[in-house]
Amino acid sequence: MKLFAFLSFLALPLAFAASSDGKEKLTSLAASGNGVIKLNDEIFDLLTAPSRDWSASIQFTALDKRRRCAPCKEFEPSWNAVAKAWTTVPAAQRDHHFFATLDFDDAPGVFQKLNLASAPVVWVYGAARGPYQTGKTQPLKYDFSNGFEAGPLALHLSNHTPVPIPYKAPIDWARWMTVISGLLGFALTIRFIAPVLQSRWTWAIITICTSLTMTGGYMFTRIRGAPYTGADGSWIAGGYQNQFGQEVQVVALIYGTLAFSVVMLTMIVPYQSSPARQRLQIYLWSGVLMLVFSVLVTLFRVKNRGYPFRLLL
Amino acid sequence: MLRLWNAIACVLLSAAVPALSASSQSFENSAIVRTVDLGGSLVHVTTTFAVKALEADASVYTITLPEDEIFNTSWLEVKVKGKQQPLTVTYSGAPAGSNSHNLDVSLETPLEVGGTINLVLETVQTHATWPWPQQAGQNDDQSLKYQTSLFVLSPYKTNVQRTKLKSSSPRILSYTTPEKVDDFTLESPVTKSGATVTYGPYNNVPSSTNKAFIEKYQQHIVLHYVYEYPVIEVLDLKRTAEISHWGANLNIQDDIVLHNAGPKLKGHFSRLEHQTQSFYNRGGSHLIPRLTVHLPAGIRNAYYYDLNGNVSTSHLRVAPSVRNQKNTQHSVMELQPRYPIMGGWNYSYTLGWDAPLGDSASYDAKTGKYIVSVPVMTEIPGSVVDRAEIQIILPEGATDVDYVAPFPSLSNELSTHVTYLDTLGRPSITFKYKNLTNKHTKPIYVSYRVPLSVHLRKPMAVATVLLSLFTFAMVARRVDLTIHKTKTVSKKM
Amino acid sequence: MPTAYPLPTNVSPATVANTASLLRIVAFGLISAAAIASRLFAVINFESIIHEFDPWFNYRATRVLAAKGFYEFWNWFDPTAWYPLGRVVGGTIYPGLMATSGVIYNFLHYFNLPVDIRNICVLLAPGFSALTAWATYMFTAELKDPSAGLLAAAFIGIVPGYISRSVAGSYDNEAIAIFLLMFTFYCWIKALKLGSAFFGTLAAVFYFYMVAAWGGYAFITNMIPVHALVLLLMGRFSGRLYVAYSSWFRFVGFQPVRTSEHMGALGVFGLLQIVAFASLVRSHVSSKQFQNLLAISVVTMGVLGAGAFVVMTYKGWIAPWTGRFYSLWDTGYAKKYIPIIASVSEHQPTAWPSFFMDLQMLIFLFPAGVVMCFRDLRDEHVFVIIYAVVASYFAGVMVRLMLTLTPVVCVSAAVAFSTLLDTYIDPTEPEATTTEAPTAAPTTTTTTATATPDSKKIKKAVAAAQAGNSASSIASSTFNDIVSATTRKGKSSKSKGIWGADARLAVLLNAIGMLAFFVFHCTWVTSNAYSSPSVVLASTNSDGSQHIIDDYREAYYWLRQNTPQDAVVMSWWDYGYQIAGMADRPTLVDNNTWNNTHIATVGKAMSSPEEIAYPILRKHDVDYVLIIFGGLLGYSGDDINKFLWMVRIAQGVWPDEIQEPNYFTPTGEYRVDDRASDAMKNSLMYKMSYYRFAELYGNQNAVDRVRNQAIPKVGPTLDYLDEAFTSENWIVRIYQVRKEDPLGRDLKSANAFEQGKKKKRSKPVSKRRVIVN
Repeated sequence: MKLFAFLSFLALPLAFAASSDGKEKLTSLAASGNGVIKLNDEIFDLLTAPSRDWSASIQFTALDKRRRCAPCKEFEPSWNAVAKAWTTVPAAQRDHHFFATLDFDDAPGVFQKLNLASAPVVWVYGAARGPYQTGKTQPLKYDFSNGFEAGPLALHLSNHTPVPIPYKAPIDWARWMTVISGLLGFALTIRFIAPVLQSRWTWAIITICTSLTMTGGYMFTRIRGAPYTGADGSWIAGGYQNQFGQEVQVVALIYGTLAFSVVMLTMIVPYQSSPARQRLQIYLWSGVLMLVFSVLVTLFRVKNRGYPFRLLL
Repeated sequence: MLRLWNAIACVLLSAAVPALSASSQSFENSAIVRTVDLGGSLVHVTTTFAVKALEADASVYTITLPEDEIFNTSWLEVKVKGKQQPLTVTYSGAPAGSNSHNLDVSLETPLEVGGTINLVLETVQTHATWPWPQQAGQNDDQSLKYQTSLFVLSPYKTNVQRTKLKSSSPRILSYTTPEKVDDFTLESPVTKSGATVTYGPYNNVPSSTNKAFIEKYQQHIVLHYVYEYPVIEVLDLKRTAEISHWGANLNIQDDIVLHNAGPKLKGHFSRLEHQTQSFYNRGGSHLIPRLTVHLPAGIRNAYYYDLNGNVSTSHLRVAPSVRNQKNTQHSVMELQPRYPIMGGWNYSYTLGWDAPLGDSASYDAKTGKYIVSVPVMTEIPGSVVDRAEIQIILPEGATDVDYVAPFPSLSNELSTHVTYLDTLGRPSITFKYKNLTNKHTKPIYVSYRVPLSVHLRKPMAVATVLLSLFTFAMVARRVDLTIHKTKTVSKKM
Repeated sequence: MPTAYPLPTNVSPATVANTASLLRIVAFGLISAAAIASRLFAVINFESIIHEFDPWFNYRATRVLAAKGFYEFWNWFDPTAWYPLGRVVGGTIYPGLMATSGVIYNFLHYFNLPVDIRNICVLLAPGFSALTAWATYMFTAELKDPSAGLLAAAFIGIVPGYISRSVAGSYDNEAIAIFLLMFTFYCWIKALKLGSAFFGTLAAVFYFYMVAAWGGYAFITNMIPVHALVLLLMGRFSGRLYVAYSSWFRFVGFQPVRTSEHMGALGVFGLLQIVAFASLVRSHVSSKQFQNLLAISVVTMGVLGAGAFVVMTYKGWIAPWTGRFYSLWDTGYAKKYIPIIASVSEHQPTAWPSFFMDLQMLIFLFPAGVVMCFRDLRDEHVFVIIYAVVASYFAGVMVRLMLTLTPVVCVSAAVAFSTLLDTYIDPTEPEATTTEAPTAAPTTTTTTATATPDSKKIKKAVAAAQAGNSASSIASSTFNDIVSATTRKGKSSKSKGIWGADARLAVLLNAIGMLAFFVFHCTWVTSNAYSSPSVVLASTNSDGSQHIIDDYREAYYWLRQNTPQDAVVMSWWDYGYQIAGMADRPTLVDNNTWNNTHIATVGKAMSSPEEIAYPILRKHDVDYVLIIFGGLLGYSGDDINKFLWMVRIAQGVWPDEIQEPNYFTPTGEYRVDDRASDAMKNSLMYKMSYYRFAELYGNQNAVDRVRNQAIPKVGPTLDYLDEAFTSENWIVRIYQVRKEDPLGRDLKSANAFEQGKKKKRSKPVSKRRVIVN
């Protein structure tokens, strides 16, 4: 092992001799491209030269309109942000790792050569020699399972850069402003809305709405990122453990109606002053109760095929 | 030596009669025919002695068994041919020099000079065979080896003797050809026909219990044969029989550790091959796919489970309960282990059932005692039980307990067993046995007396428990009410 | 006073009271019976057996407790778990459950009732469900009245949301936890009502029991302080609150409070002291000023406390939230950073059908009940309201937390329902008056206050009214009624009641119908969805009779009987507890997933090619590898379907070596047929699953019934493992890890060599196994 290190040490000057000019080129490119090297075929070959003593992270993407690659556009900014963060590293380490972007339309050949079928893809080429050399010659794929955010990207790439990437998430001024202004607005209008806030029924509405949305499966759609409706426009998702955004509204509405009719029957109708009206309302709300409940059951039968029971419908 | 002791013990089952001295001149064997039924873990040997008396009132005939055979023998019986009643047999030491043992059979009626009698010696040998080769693949055959001695030893002169070794299948791989037997026979010393290998006939064999003969002629013969049934060995049997007069119920539970003593499975078990085999049903002969046992008639809620709970794969056909003792009907239980038991594999399970007490118990009015018969074991066909422990639990408070065992046990002890709502526990007797075979499925008779007061003890206990529960409920109700009161108070404030 | 139907007049109040209490007891007895009986489906359909996975550990631990006594149990080090690390069991578990059944066990045996410990464990949950019903009864009785209490008890007795975790055999912490939860809450509101230190202490005691029994105790730890805080903010501070809370907290304060879960409780305690002091000041300053002072001080204190909390957590003086709790707030957190938590099915978010499945009609009676809690807003009602909001959020985030939602749903639904029944059973008829509603509305402020929030309701009301055949007269009247009803709170000057029997009958029949439907629903759900002990699978034969698929126990028992006592078994962690319990063999990982790396190691071994996996297996001296394969039977819960989680978890530790995308086809599909990716095909898991699978089908093509994909004719070959056992339906497959080749060749070439020989040999299989033995 010692001997090996020694050899590599010997090889070092050679390496510089071989690829020093290429390296300058890349450095300048990176500087001009504000951290990101825009690649075409030959720069790509230069960057991934087998004799490289630097490592490189390359983003394969297709930003052209015609390619209709939404994720590419989504990922682009975080990539640039991370690359930019890398430029702040002192040159000694910075020049041992390059960030580059290869757009499909600039070098389709490369895509074919690496038979890449999809974009965006991020590959990390380890240094083939030199102080930071890695045993691996194969590029490593970055896994997008953590999404397109810059944070995890920087975190992951830092395993391959000479020094960790000094990436910091930018402060979201807009959010802070809205929060502060909201607070201010609240403080100003407190006098006027105080009675509303002190009324129990305000809170009742809030509580009821919260619990209705929750029991409507809102969190499911939030966490699973379920679409509002199906691709084919159907608003009800097949399957017992699955649902669309619209179902939340429908189900919450149904629950609300049912609850409301019960409330009417118990809290409102008894205070009704004339017998005729009262009787009418009682039948009305009972009817609503029955009807909507059977609708709910039918809906549930759609979701859960095996369900044996049914009401009016 | 335990084994020997065991064998002897089996022999001395009745009160030993004074052994009369047997001289080698009192008899001669006009013919000895030994038939060996080769099995897996059990080998049945039947030897017929055609005896002729040379002296007046010769009443004690001596049978000699070589030591290794006596070690294997776990059951032995001598009868007069065609009679049911077994004769009395007593151990009479080992003749000098020959490592063999003498058993004296005392005849019922002494023979006159020239009188003849046919004695049948029946023995069951366990662990007498061993698998060879010791490992077999999943769909190989299994073959066993059995070894015995060429000559049937006898202190008397023998005119003609032969030994037949019967295998269950004609595929006998090899057998020993004896040497130096020209003195006794002119034609070939051993012949094989079908599934039988016959040694002899050997003529004019002299008294053979002396050193000289044994060293000169006696030799081992080994038979290597294909055996098409699994070699089942029950390593441990623990039977618990619980008698309840209130339920009129006899509960019997067997905890069994099963072992396939055939050749060890070579390589690994492949479900694929097993399924193909059972599909074309040419299963490997040495695996145990299922066990069929005969349980008493009229049993109720039989259960079959192991350490991981109920085993759902079993079938039971219950025969109706019949009162008279000699009904031949059985309930047939088909047990399927969780997995097919390949050679060398183990499987342990628990099998139990309830039987109507009336079928196996009777009340003796004049002694005022109950007599209950509990079978020592339930036979698993073709299997040997290495260690058996039978515990019989009598009703709570049973007194002057007495028992009769069909054959002596290694040990037995009286203890007390406490179970559901017992106040003073139940007397229980435990018997220990070794190497039980299908010949040993005989009942143990237990007699005891249960005073009426004891009969009433349990209901009293239960009544007290119920009463206490009731009072507790009453108290609880009071408490409940008080809580309501406090609540109303709290409502007001 | 006119009545809708005649009432018996000659009955003394005492008789009525006694009859009522007697009926109450009888009804309650029936409810308990129903609660227990409806949980016995599993025992009747199958047998008295422990279910699922975790219960197997609890059962094993309980056996240790019953056999060796509590002391031994408390410092029990289990060397067979997490081989080779071992596991300190005593300290790392919630002993409440085991202790409970241990006590029951010893109690019974003291009275010469030698009940099998297994049966105690199996039947513990149903037994406690009866107690839960009782606690719920008490709780609801405090809230409204005993009749509502009985309804609530009946609901929680049979509601699937609770049965799902307390059927006979699901011997898990939740079995007793819900009872403790409800009873603690009952004690709390009782203490709050009476201001009694006794009940406060009782609450603390049961809170301790809870802490010892279930991780969910943090729910109580935070519910009670939040309740107290809200009461403060509502300006409802009282001596009773002070006494109750302090007497509760004084005991809670004993345990280490330097975890985030306990900070809230501490903060509120501090706040209470201040407010108590402030209330002393009250006498000196005028009430108006005092209100302001109070409000300001509370707010400032709250802000300060929160700030301090944040700072201290940041500085690490306080242990931050554990992953599980944190993942409740930041829902994306788990999937990203702790895939193990995310991988558990019961940690998935809840879709609405599950809500309806578990709660049926209660789910929409629940909001109505909350509304009624708002009507007469006593302290305990505030508690229910808070509970409702928090629990419904949690239940939405995690399926398993449906359990905490269920009690409050039952309670408030019972309140709503019994109010309905009261209203329509009450025989008194009001005398018709024609006062206009708006005159009943007292002050302008309140009208505005109430009118605004009600606008939504009114729209609905209008819509509904027009749906009914009557015209806008009803709509307006409805509006007036709402306004009057909401503003009228408290004073019952205006007569309320129902005219006529027919209306009553309509509503009551409707209600009874709903109840009946609810019962049918619960029975159906319980028997179909929640009563199968996942260890044993049931199918039906062609003749309709039930056929038991018992592969798990078959394989586990084989391990137990035919492998050396110390043979180490590697499997995915789901099966760790079962192997320990039923096969009684050491395992690498099991269901208490405390060591991510160890699990990731197993994941890596499963998802890497043989030659990479082999050193890992040998390093952990694994003798047998056990996998679950449903392809033959169509049993979907098998390892191939869990495989991606193994990959993900492994990837979390070795991002360079294991990468999820490699296991998909280039088109991003998850396939196992001939189009499967190479990483997939070479992975140990794939090979073990489909080893010799195709041969089973002879010459027609093999189909994986779970994935519905055709398996290539030429199946995978194994060089480093041997098939040791495969259960009857191929669900469990066990492989033995080969020892190094005696001739020092690497096993691949050794195997290739043997294969070469095999061509000439007649007995192939047996021959090539020879190397191993």
